[in-house]
Amino acid sequence: MDLPEPIHDFLLVFLGSGLVLGSIGVVLLPNPIYSAFSLGLVFVCISLFYILSNSHFVAAAQLLIYVGAINVLIIFSVMFMNGSEYYKDFRLWTVGDGVTLMVCTSIFVSLMTTISDTSWYGIIWTTRSNQIIEQDLISNSQQIGIHLSTDFFLPFEFISIILLAALIGAIVVARQ
Amino acid sequence: MMLEHVLVLSAYLFSIGIYGLITSRNMVRALMCLELILNAVNINFVTFSDFFDSRQLKGNIFSIFVIAIAAAEAAIGPAIVSSIYRNRKSTRINQSNLLNK
Repeated sequence: MDLPEPIHDFLLVFLGSGLVLGSIGVVLLPNPIYSAFSLGLVFVCISLFYILSNSHFVAAAQLLIYVGAINVLIIFSVMFMNGSEYYKDFRLWTVGDGVTLMVCTSIFVSLMTTISDTSWYGIIWTTRSNQIIEQDLISNSQQIGIHLSTDFFLPFEFISIILLAALIGAIVVARQ
Repeated sequence: MMLEHVLVLSAYLFSIGIYGLITSRNMVRALMCLELILNAVNINFVTFSDFFDSRQLKGNIFSIFVIAIAAAEAAIGPAIVSSIYRNRKSTRINQSNLLNK
C-alpha cells in the first residue's frame, strides 16, 4: 500500500507488537478462553499485515475464514469442554519445558542468522529484471481468479473435495 | 517495508508455535498453536509473493490453499477432541491412552 513512510513504519511496529504480545499470550495464559481471544488478536493483526503488503484478497480471506470461522470454532470448543481442571493446571517448570525452550530458541536464532546472511536485494534485482511487463492493468483479485481457473484448476477442485470430506467427517465424529 | 523484519517476525511466530505445540497439555491449546504455525507459513508466502513475484501472485494462491487446509483441520480437530472428551472426561494430552485397552 502506498502510504507515506512514517505512517507505514508506525503501522508496522504497531502490528508487530500486537503479534508478539498476542502469540506470547496464546502460549502462556493459564485460562484457555483468554488464549483463544488472544489468538483472535493475532489473526486480526496478520490480516492488517496482509493489507500493508498489497494482498487485499488474502487479507479478506484471512479475516473471513480465520477470525470468522476458525476462531469462533475454537472458542466454541473451549467453552464446550471448559471444566474446572484448567484452574488447577498451574504447573511447575519441568525439564521438558526447558529443553523445548532451548530447542525453539536455537531454531529462532539459526533462522535469524540465515535471514540476515542472505543477500535479498541481489535476488530482487535478478527476478525483477526477468519479469515480463504484462497484464499491468488487471487488479490483483482478477489475477488470482484467472490463475485459480486456469493454472490451478485441478488443485482448486481437490481442495473443494477435501473440504467436503473433512466437514462430513467432522459431523460424523462429533455427533453420536 | 523491510523484508528482513517481516521474515524475523514470521520466524518468531513459527518458533513460539512449536514451543506451545510441544509443551501444552491441553488439546485445544495445541490446536491453537498449530494455527500459529500455519499463519507463519502464510506470512512468508505473502511476503515473498509481494517482493519477488508481484505480477504472478503465485504465493497468494498458495496461501489461499493453506487457509483452506487449515479450515479443514480446524473442523476435524475439535470434533476429535470432543469425541475424546466424551469418552474420557478430560482433554489432557498426557492422559489420552485410548488405544491402550
